[in-house]
Amino acid sequence: MTRLVQSSLSIAIYLLASLIGVVAFLYPFFLPVLPAATMNSAHSNDAPLVLSIVVVLCFIALLVEIQGQQLSAKSVALLGVLVAINSLLRFIEVAVPGPGGFSPIFCLIILVGYIYGGRFGFMMGTLTLFVSALITGGVGPWLPYQMFSAGWAGMSAPLCRPLVRLLRAEGKQAELWLLMLFGFLWGMLYGIIMNLWFWPFVSGPADQYWQYGISLWAGIQRYLAFYLATSLLWDIAAACGNALLIAVVGLPTLRALRRFQARFHFHYEPLV
Amino acid sequence: MISFEQVSFSYPQAQKPLLEQVNLEIPEGSFCLVVGASGSGKSTLLRCINGLVPHFSGGRLSGNIRVDGLDPVRESPQVMSRHVGFVFQDPEAQFVVNQVEDEIAFALEHAAIPQQEMRIRVEEVLGLLDLGELRERELHTLSGGQQQRVAIAAALALRPNILVLDEPTSQLDPQSADDVLQALVRLNADLGITIVLAEHRIERVLPFIDHLIAVQVDPITGKRSVIEGEPRELLQQIELVPPLIALGKALAWQPLPLSIKEGLRHSRPLARQLSQLQPPQPLKHSDVPVIKLHKLNSGYGQHTVFEDLDLELWAGEITVLLGRNGVGKSTLLRTIVGLQPIRKGAVEIMGRSTRGKSVAEICQQVGYLPQDPNALLFSDTVRDELLISLANHKITGPAALERADVLLHKLGLVELAEAYPRDLSVGERQRVALAAISVSEPQAFLLDEPTRGLDYVAKERLAELLHTWRSEGKTLLIVTHDVEFAASIADRIVLLGSDGITADGPASEVLGASPLFAPQIARLFPQTGWLTSQQALQHLLAKS
Amino acid sequence: MKLHPLAWVAWLLSTLVALSVTRNPLYLLIVLLCIAIVGNLSPKSQTRYKLPTALFVLLLVTSCCFNALTVHYGNSVLFRLPEWIPVVGGVITLEAALYGLLNGCVLIGFLLAFQVIMQVITSQELVGLLPPAFYPIAVVVTIALGFVPTTIQQIGKIRDAQAIRGHRLQGWRDWLPLWMPLLIGGLERAFQLAEAMVARGFASNDRPKQIIGDQIALVCGMLLLLAGWFVRLVWGLGGVGIGAMLIGALLIGLTLWRIGKRSPRSHYRTRRWHLNDSIVLLASLLFAGLLLAPLDLLDRRSLYYYPYPELSLPEFQTWLGLCFLCLLTPIVVSLLNNPKEIGS
Repeated sequence: MTRLVQSSLSIAIYLLASLIGVVAFLYPFFLPVLPAATMNSAHSNDAPLVLSIVVVLCFIALLVEIQGQQLSAKSVALLGVLVAINSLLRFIEVAVPGPGGFSPIFCLIILVGYIYGGRFGFMMGTLTLFVSALITGGVGPWLPYQMFSAGWAGMSAPLCRPLVRLLRAEGKQAELWLLMLFGFLWGMLYGIIMNLWFWPFVSGPADQYWQYGISLWAGIQRYLAFYLATSLLWDIAAACGNALLIAVVGLPTLRALRRFQARFHFHYEPLV
Repeated sequence: MISFEQVSFSYPQAQKPLLEQVNLEIPEGSFCLVVGASGSGKSTLLRCINGLVPHFSGGRLSGNIRVDGLDPVRESPQVMSRHVGFVFQDPEAQFVVNQVEDEIAFALEHAAIPQQEMRIRVEEVLGLLDLGELRERELHTLSGGQQQRVAIAAALALRPNILVLDEPTSQLDPQSADDVLQALVRLNADLGITIVLAEHRIERVLPFIDHLIAVQVDPITGKRSVIEGEPRELLQQIELVPPLIALGKALAWQPLPLSIKEGLRHSRPLARQLSQLQPPQPLKHSDVPVIKLHKLNSGYGQHTVFEDLDLELWAGEITVLLGRNGVGKSTLLRTIVGLQPIRKGAVEIMGRSTRGKSVAEICQQVGYLPQDPNALLFSDTVRDELLISLANHKITGPAALERADVLLHKLGLVELAEAYPRDLSVGERQRVALAAISVSEPQAFLLDEPTRGLDYVAKERLAELLHTWRSEGKTLLIVTHDVEFAASIADRIVLLGSDGITADGPASEVLGASPLFAPQIARLFPQTGWLTSQQALQHLLAKS
Repeated sequence: MKLHPLAWVAWLLSTLVALSVTRNPLYLLIVLLCIAIVGNLSPKSQTRYKLPTALFVLLLVTSCCFNALTVHYGNSVLFRLPEWIPVVGGVITLEAALYGLLNGCVLIGFLLAFQVIMQVITSQELVGLLPPAFYPIAVVVTIALGFVPTTIQQIGKIRDAQAIRGHRLQGWRDWLPLWMPLLIGGLERAFQLAEAMVARGFASNDRPKQIIGDQIALVCGMLLLLAGWFVRLVWGLGGVGIGAMLIGALLIGLTLWRIGKRSPRSHYRTRRWHLNDSIVLLASLLFAGLLLAPLDLLDRRSLYYYPYPELSLPEFQTWLGLCFLCLLTPIVVSLLNNPKEIGS
């Protein structure tokens, strides 16, 4: 009984955090639709700030739930080492401007999440962004969102498992294709999310909208224009880069991670 | 104090037990040495003391273990950490933080020891291990010996009264190893801490121990047995011992000498009776050197490691390069193969200069084994490693498989062809690495510290391999700190000092004359030119 | 004397609030100047990568152009683009351009403020700021930061090792022999490290679920946050909304505190809290409160500068402008205590 209650509470926390995340990223679009009478200048200017605080708090709650009561030395050491290696890869992205927004860190985040589980993948994604920001000096207001998104990428990687099991493709090329597709999707998704984050800052306070009488659809159009102009190509390059990297290093990396799975006693367990 | 009663242990998914009915009794306050070949179960035995086996490793353990009144199997390793400190082989892999003081304080912070108490303990432990000047330093800037002392300090911070060390000096050079061992001797003598030490290079530590445990594997039946006792008695029953002990046993010296000083008491009378021996034979070689270094100058950044170095290496000759730490031996090898740029001078291989050639090209003719061969290995099987090397040299297909098989035979790796390279023992991994670098059948081999972490058996196998290569006419240059190993294989010795080459000649001449690098037998019988116990025995028995 | 990292965080938050709340160019200028002064004159703990000035110029230009091209509102028309072009078509006004410029300034302010923080706080202090509830994660980050120099050395060794067996870096497949030893070596290292940590008393098994009470508290906290935000936004009940959000935040904070108390840890190095830190903290909190508090007594209308529909001169309330100078507190306290440290 207690296990059932605890599992449902865990699910609740994951769902709430995701919901708040989605709301946070999409609010600039439905904001202008709200009755104009409720908006006055005082609120409009601090909406992004308040929302940031809400998102950060929910992220903290999710992180607490995922960390759990206690992490063993094996989990801590493994995470520490993998995060260090992945953070150094980020140096490549920062120091050597690659094609578009290619970030080499997602390959390992996705593979680690896929083999070692959603909790591990979430922490891998989050902490890679955190540590790499510390060592490359890239700490900024975008960091919590980057951490959150990368965490989601790692946490959702085990979703590939049932599909792989269905196709009975473990260890074969088909598994690699699936992971490459997943890497591509997340490349695009990460770009879109970070863009959505950046959007309110660029578009300015919402009070421009309803004075001007902009509608929801026009708002979306405006965003799409922004996206096309600045980062569609960027994100496609990032997505292709992810897929390519997984193609090159994927199979041997999966083999190595699986080999160590037994030593580290991780179980192939569903997310909750 | 530490007692094992009918203890048996097998790892998960292992067919045979690793420890069978082990009975041991280690008295309180003793300095205990555990010897045994790699893979014999030494490490597992040590890990039983603080509960890492079975809590960390899994597996099935039966029997009774009592450590300081506690049962490590019942208690968790957290509880045992207050009674038993553990130091591992690789100093860097034990560190959590990057700073000396913080590393020592880590276990204390985790145990929620109050801050005032923490400060006292950290000061205490820094003083005990003589780390006062290093307290603010970052760990990755320290030498291996300093790092191991920090690891010991960190283990001692929780004030355990037992310290267990699993081959702590195998990755260290002799000077650092000495520092660590002297620190252990002091801890045992001044504070009465029980020390349980597993080591391969037992020469240095034998004079100080008062309890010896040997883990032996019967070569025929494969049965494992653990015997313990007083050092001088137990050494009579152990096969693989340092040259001094081997000689002492063969000549029935009583009491069995454990140090050079004790050995000299027996050897001096014998040495006086020896008449003048013939001078050693000069080395014969062909006219054209295989490798020639001409006024070579190399270094890092502003710092010059060596300059104006001249050296010639010939075919069918094993040359051992000796020198103190930091004098540039590894740099010399790296410069020859092109990993280090040549500042001035030239390196000629088979008469042709290496200028302008890439490392891959040079290594087709000169094989180089780095200090840490782990960085080479990443495939799933040993055979795959060889195939990858062959593919690098543009050999693929059935020709590659054939060559790989030949190589596996040559290096004695046939039974291990399908094994995962990184799961093998240190000696086996080294042979795989040697196979990987010899696919192009190079004329010469440069080996950098090949004896690190090897036990006696593995060292003998390596010596055999080197002798085989020599008889095939290969040129061999070995850098090592292990003087006994050098004594067993070298034809020629080159001593490198901070000003360049200080000695270059036949092994018996140079090793015999050098106070720093003389092997045990040479110290016992100076001016005879004997380097190994076999040589000494041969001559002494011939006399009588 | 260095300020406590927590005081710096308070300063950062007040700066962020100041930047978010106003679009008045005069106030924005004051804020940017304050950040620049604090950034240049504070004693630096470490110099990490400084953002290039070109980036700031780029941001300003992009922001300005984007707003000008997509918002077609305002009376001072610069030029006209044909209406049939989607999104961009329409009047291009000076007001829109100006507003875009102001947005850009706010963005630059954010970047600069964070840059200052990264220069005055070291990584270890930052990790130390993590609440005790996140101790396992703090250990992971510490291990990762400590392992980075070793990994860099390892990369060099691997590159050499592969070169000596004939490996040449020609195609993109040739990165594999460099990557795999690094990964496998790292995994083996992690195992050895885990063993060493267990031998020194670290936990040897995971306990993945939090205690039920804490989980319930977290769920309620998040629900309250979401509800409060919705209420404030959709139904305009500012007081109720903020109240609910505050309770939610408090719940989450309390849960963190309780979790931290459950596994006590001590600290070897503690940062003492000095008077300076209290001054900076108080100044920052008061300033942020001044800007945010929904008190109608305070006349803060000059904050809400709005160029549409007609470009006008921004208002300036002197008392408010002086309050913005609170952002200089870190420098002021350093100056009062130790004038020599300025500019190091």
